[in-house]
Amino acid sequence: MRGQFKNTVMDLATKDDSIVMILGDVSVYLFRDYAERYPNRFYNMGICENTLIAVGAGLAARGLTPFVHTIAPFVTERSYEQIKLDMCYNRLGVNIVSCGASFDYAWDGATHHSYTDLGILRHLPNMEVLQPGSNKEVNELVRQCYNNGNPTYFRLSDNPHEIDVPVQFGKGVEVFAKNASLTVVTAGPILENVHKAVMDLDVNLLYFNTISPIDRELIEKYRNTTFLVIHDATGLWEAVNEIQGLSVYYHGYFREFMGCYGTVHDIRKELRLDVPSLRRVVIHFMKFSMVDKR
Amino acid sequence: MNKDCAKIRKNILEIAHMSGHGHIPTCFSIIEMLYALYNFMKHDPLNPAWNERDLFVLSKGHAALAHYAVLSHHGYFPIENVKRFGLCGSDFGCHADRHRVPGVEISTGSLGHGVNVALGMALAEKIKGRSTRVYTLIGDGESNEGTVWESMMVAADLGLPNYTVLYDNNMSHGRGLQIKNPAEKFEAFGASVHDIDGHNIDEITAALDTPNDRYKVIVCNTIKGYGSTLLTENHYAWHRRSPSDDELKEMIGELNARAV
Repeated sequence: MRGQFKNTVMDLATKDDSIVMILGDVSVYLFRDYAERYPNRFYNMGICENTLIAVGAGLAARGLTPFVHTIAPFVTERSYEQIKLDMCYNRLGVNIVSCGASFDYAWDGATHHSYTDLGILRHLPNMEVLQPGSNKEVNELVRQCYNNGNPTYFRLSDNPHEIDVPVQFGKGVEVFAKNASLTVVTAGPILENVHKAVMDLDVNLLYFNTISPIDRELIEKYRNTTFLVIHDATGLWEAVNEIQGLSVYYHGYFREFMGCYGTVHDIRKELRLDVPSLRRVVIHFMKFSMVDKR
Repeated sequence: MNKDCAKIRKNILEIAHMSGHGHIPTCFSIIEMLYALYNFMKHDPLNPAWNERDLFVLSKGHAALAHYAVLSHHGYFPIENVKRFGLCGSDFGCHADRHRVPGVEISTGSLGHGVNVALGMALAEKIKGRSTRVYTLIGDGESNEGTVWESMMVAADLGLPNYTVLYDNNMSHGRGLQIKNPAEKFEAFGASVHDIDGHNIDEITAALDTPNDRYKVIVCNTIKGYGSTLLTENHYAWHRRSPSDDELKEMIGELNARAV
């Protein structure tokens, strides 16, 4: 997705000279052609995430369109107050684009994992929180949102899914609308596994690449079903529960430092987010949903 | 004491007295700095969004009342507007909101933020090839925050002669993490440094006016509570206090006597 992000920004920059790239010493080689073409609009500002966000806010305050890019936990959890105050309270349109997602850096251990970013950022007033799951979604969501004047978080992953879904900011997608009693809800690259796990089961499948603002209308449409949120991070389950009075179960990451190292696929297996495990889990909850209906 | 600065201090005292709010000692240490700055930089009180204006960010946001009083003195709004300072429904909070107060470029409060946002504003003006200058005012206690020193490193790396930091060395840091020899430290961080009397308007103006080829830090040596013996003798106790009727009378009497 990072490559797609770079290509999209390169294309936008040909027509929009307000774009400024601020890197936290990450993806510097990837952006080398951007840096050569726009040396006045490219800054590898080093490893000082708090300042990257604040500088982005200053650029936005003067009418420029900054993209601040570095690794997810450092630019979100470490810089939460800068995001809250410099971006959201001041209402300045900074784009944060992170890499690493939940467990792309599985082998690096918990210091490099990020599972609270979506959850904490969606609490902030004025903040848009996006989790594109594919290269197409990165391309289209960046184009739709990058210059809308709002603080926006794009959470990228190096493990995109391959499923083609319509992309519109703020809108969820009905991947499977089967008039079933169980509605599976998911977001981001894990759609790949969820899709494979449920495609021949009698469940609805909703997919969201905008976590905040959540598409309440789509969730309301399924109010009379039981929801099962499947996600590898916090944030989506809480977003669905903004709509009160639903019956919502959760399966996925929950408050644990993941110490198995390996790859993202190893950690997904640990969390029972691999395809066979997901299938078993969904079948289990299908029974629940039938009980609920009685 | 400059009579305008005495008048600004009296306004601060009266507002603090009426509202029950105010960080008076920290406000009093920066009056000459703000007064000199607003006499020096390009701005238009009748058109706060004037495109050609220079920019100021009060990073030590708890001195907002001083900023309001100086903005009012320069004609941004009548001082009467500030008299409900910190009260429910007022536009003038104990920390300023840029969406509610004309002349406030960035909302600040949590320390170690404004200085970095101002840095981004200075970078923006450089990118746009404009001559706009960006000023920010930080406290010495605030400079315990690591972000202050991050911004100094980045400013040095970017080479931003349009970025000026006024450092209020009012010895707030004395009771906590001490920052000894700040001028040496800022110089080591790559700044062009001036080390001056922060209550001397001529010295402040001269430091602001000195050409520089890199970012500038003006270390303003000040006295917390300057202008009132009651405050300077016990500024810790006065950190958030507002004066009683008798204290107000005594403080205003002293300011009247010192104004020239």
